[in-house]
Amino acid sequence: MRATGLSFSAEVPGLLRGSVVEGRAAIESFDARRWWFYVAIILGGAGLFGAAVGSWRDPLQALYTALKLPLIILLTSLGNGLLNAMLAPLLGINLNLRQSLLAVLMSFTIAAVILGAFSPLLYFLIWNTPALATGASTNTGAHSLVLLCETAIIAFAGIAANVRLLQLLHELAGSASAARKVLFAWLAGNLLLGSQLAWIMRPFVGSPGLPVQFLRANPFEGSFYEAIFRAFKHLFFP
Amino acid sequence: MYDSNPTPPPVPPTLPPGQGPNSSSGSRPLGDDPNDRETINGPIAAIESILRHPRRVLYQLRQPGAGHVIVALFLIAIVCSLIYGFVVGTFSMGTQLWAAPVKIAAGLVVSAVICLPSLYIFSCLSGTQARLIEVIGMIAGLLALMTVLLIGFAPVAWVFSQSTESLAAMGALHLTFWCIATYFGIRFLSEGFAHLSGKPAGLRVWVTIFLLVMVQMSTALRPIVGKADTLLPVEKKFFLKHWFEQLDKA
Repeated sequence: MRATGLSFSAEVPGLLRGSVVEGRAAIESFDARRWWFYVAIILGGAGLFGAAVGSWRDPLQALYTALKLPLIILLTSLGNGLLNAMLAPLLGINLNLRQSLLAVLMSFTIAAVILGAFSPLLYFLIWNTPALATGASTNTGAHSLVLLCETAIIAFAGIAANVRLLQLLHELAGSASAARKVLFAWLAGNLLLGSQLAWIMRPFVGSPGLPVQFLRANPFEGSFYEAIFRAFKHLFFP
Repeated sequence: MYDSNPTPPPVPPTLPPGQGPNSSSGSRPLGDDPNDRETINGPIAAIESILRHPRRVLYQLRQPGAGHVIVALFLIAIVCSLIYGFVVGTFSMGTQLWAAPVKIAAGLVVSAVICLPSLYIFSCLSGTQARLIEVIGMIAGLLALMTVLLIGFAPVAWVFSQSTESLAAMGALHLTFWCIATYFGIRFLSEGFAHLSGKPAGLRVWVTIFLLVMVQMSTALRPIVGKADTLLPVEKKFFLKHWFEQLDKA
């Protein structure tokens, strides 16, 4: 990938197709503009998806979620950057901090492009769904459908991004086993931090019974895993 | 106790295939790769080497003047454990901001010192050619790698420290990070012994002892995550009993 050819139409199809030769060249060379390019795509793609998610509750919530979703992605990448850079060589791929961070950013960029591409569809679905604030019991089915669609899109984007990342890691490592180990370790770390950051930055959809806020009044109270544990306990040991 | 020959053998013993994190170079003798022979100047180079080129550290430990590498590794271990300890202390704040780092750094070093003689004995009994200085170096490498990895986990630990009030959850999280970091540290040690005519027969036993000493040390120096009226415990307790008591309180 030439440094002079950084454009959406030139870069993004290559990323989505998983061109490992271009990916390897990007990882091995340093081009500051590429970093900003990926960050811009994450801000745009994840921001559009966030706006669609938040629009269900309120236009202001749409703006907040559009800001928060990319922020979580970038903070997760940065927060785990050092750890990911340490784990890669230990598990068999000799990447430095910059290279491992760029590989993770590439993966998130692919996810953001997919999220951005699906955001008009999601927005259309939400536009056709009764407003969340109405709270009528008859809307439960529609609300479940929207939540299901959001989850499915995020899952699809995540899976596609990680398949591409695995291919790139395989190319860099020359070994499928090392690539799988590194991917698993990175995923575990990103899941752990990302889910907690998402918990801190709640709400995203916005509950109809609560005011529209950028962050809840008690963002650092509790953790994602405690909430899961309590829900599990409540479900099985009421 | 010391080997009568202070210089390392000119040709290091060969490494059995499939050992070590870098499988591509794992079967080659130490020093065979020019990368192995690069000198390690200072703690930063030592961090880089222990993460990316563990063979370089192992090779340097066998050379005359390995002392400065060992000092660098111990310095890394102490500084990184102090930093991670500070992050641990942010859960309870107050006194724990300085007590937790001191306890973690001291606990690690004391655990290593307590376990060093037994590792040397195990290695001698199994017929390896390790000199005491090499064994010290490998333990220093184990501690350095462990604590450097803990620094990698520090941002995640800090986020959770600020989010939860559950002592048991934070304890479990730190224990998980410690287990992962220790796994890689033990792997480094194991690779080091693989270069010394094979792993000592008792290495697994020693690893078990080392792990038990470290977890018991964390109980002996409690509180590390939470708070207490006294800096050190007034009651002696086995670590399992302490953990179950904490889980009951949660």
